[in-house]
Formats: sequence, structure tokens, C-alpha cells
Amino acid sequence: MDTPKILLPYNFTSYDKKALDFVCLTFSDKKNAEVTLFNAYTPTPTIEMRGSPIMEQMKDNLSYLSQRVKEQEDALKTIKNHLLGKGFSADKIAIVFEPKKRDVAGDIIDLVKDGRFDVVVLNRKPGKIARFFAGSVSSKVVAALKNATVCIVS
Amino acid sequence: MVAEDRINMDIYKVVTRAIASSDNLEDMATQLTQLLVGALGIKGSTIFVLNPATEELEVLASFGLSINYMNKGPILVKKSLDHQLRGEPVVIRDVTKSDRLQYPEDAKKEGISAIVSLPISLHGKLIGVLRLYHYEQWDVSERDLDSLVIFTENIGLALMYTRLLQALKSVKETVDEVHPIWLD
Repeated sequence: MDTPKILLPYNFTSYDKKALDFVCLTFSDKKNAEVTLFNAYTPTPTIEMRGSPIMEQMKDNLSYLSQRVKEQEDALKTIKNHLLGKGFSADKIAIVFEPKKRDVAGDIIDLVKDGRFDVVVLNRKPGKIARFFAGSVSSKVVAALKNATVCIVS
Repeated sequence: MVAEDRINMDIYKVVTRAIASSDNLEDMATQLTQLLVGALGIKGSTIFVLNPATEELEVLASFGLSINYMNKGPILVKKSLDHQLRGEPVVIRDVTKSDRLQYPEDAKKEGISAIVSLPISLHGKLIGVLRLYHYEQWDVSERDLDSLVIFTENIGLALMYTRLLQALKSVKETVDEVHPIWLD
């Protein structure tokens, strides 16, 4: 794996920062290492309430979702700059920022299965109760992927 | 002054449908926070689940709040509007006049003026919290508060439903892995 293609899902938590540090520590000395930062956001709901004044009200009030999306995009660029500072080449860092297609785990699995990555670096907060309700992204990814290296930073 | 009702039947229908129509908990929760922000014209909304071991409120979904505010630090249920444990909604009409916030300075920096916090309970036990943040002072009407309480009851049911679905999927995956040779 001389030129690892690394997928780093990033959601701006302290555990994401740990995963970022792991990537820097492990791969920054590999000249051709490629890193892709991935963040999927939930698009606004489509509401079947045509002709209702609520639609217009919602549209107005949710218009700043695009501003929030911009904020997230800018924050990912800051992470890209961090990687640059750690020695990764600018042309080897990409950002994938897009609406969720399935769920976070499903989207990560699809990206790796498309053959674009051979390493996935995930993070996992020990004892997180949200996993009890929503399921674990890292467990789903590990169970679904073959021929890929999955690193879990905890 | 009588507080204005903001939740009408249209909003009620939209929010209830959003809760009922998704089998993906995180998407449902995120869309619910978006809908509440959009429908009520407020700054932001967050759904937390309670970690009973650490008594920390963990973010399940959020909309409208900055990354910095979301990362302000652990939210402890006893320090952050602690009466949640008693299962009653809490309305902080003006955060500058309240001493019940865990991070009052961060709320100020974020531009939050009012917070409405509603417990999500199941069978009388607190399992999460729905919080609404407004950029101006907010007098919530009794009727709106009643509607919000009903939303949280539905969220509680959705949380348990998706939990059971997760458990069922795990059982199915385990059963699928049983090789036929072991059953001969």
C-alpha cells in the first residue's frame, strides 16, 4: 500500500479530531497518500403539504440551511489546511460534502465499494448511548466491507 | 400579555408525519429538528439522548446551531436545567435572567435568548430531551407547550421502535450467519 487512498469521515467532534491526528501520524510521511474528507448532511425534508401556508413559512425559515451548509464546507476546508500543514500534498486532499443518500454507514460503504478507497478511518466514542438507539456506524462498516482496511480510533 | 400560539394544525400534521414516516432514527431526528426550526421560526433545535451511566446528554440530532456551540463541552443533565429529571418541561424565557444554564456564556455568544427544554420519557423514565433555542425572548403559549409535549412523547416511542428494529436486524444477521451444515 505505497499510495494509500484514505477515506476520513469527519463530523467535527473531538473524536473526529482524534481520527484526524491518527491519519496525520500514520500517513503524512507517505508521499503519495491521498486523503478524502467526507461529511454527509441530512437534506431538508420534502413535505407533502402543497397549497398550505405552512410550506411558504417553512421555506423562508429554512432558507438559512444553505448558510449552515456553507459553514460546514468552510470548516472542512480548515481541516484540509490542517492536513496540508502536516505535510500532505494539496493535490492529494479531497473533500466530499454531499447530502446523505442512504445513511452515514451506507454512504461510506458505497464510497469504498466503488473502489475509490482502500483505507477507512473511523472514530468511536466508548459507551456512547446514541448507538444503542441508532446503531453503530463503525460496526455496520466493518461488517459490510471486504478487501479494505478499516481503522477505528477510540 | 397572552402568548401567541405558533403551532397550528398544519405544523402539527407535518411534524407528526415526519416522526411516523421514517425508519432511520438519525434522519427522522434531524428532519424533526429542521421542521421545528422552520415551522416555529426559531434559531435552532437539538434532540439529545440521555446516557444513564454518565448522566450526560448526547446529541442525536441538531439543526441551526454552530459547530463551536455544539462542541462547548459535555452536557450533564443535573447541571443543565436539572429539573428535567422530574419530567416537566422547562421554559427559560430570557437566558440572561436565568442561573439554570450549564454554559451561559456560550449561549450568549451563540445569540440564544430563550430555551425551551422538554423531557423525552418512556414509561415514566427520562430517555432524552428536546431543546428549542430562540434568538429572542420567547413566551411559549400553554397550547404550544402541550403540542410540544405530545411531540416528545412520539419521539420517545420512535426511539424505542428504532431500538427494537436495530435489535431485530442484529438477530437476523446472526441467524443469517448460521451455516446450514450446523442444522443438519
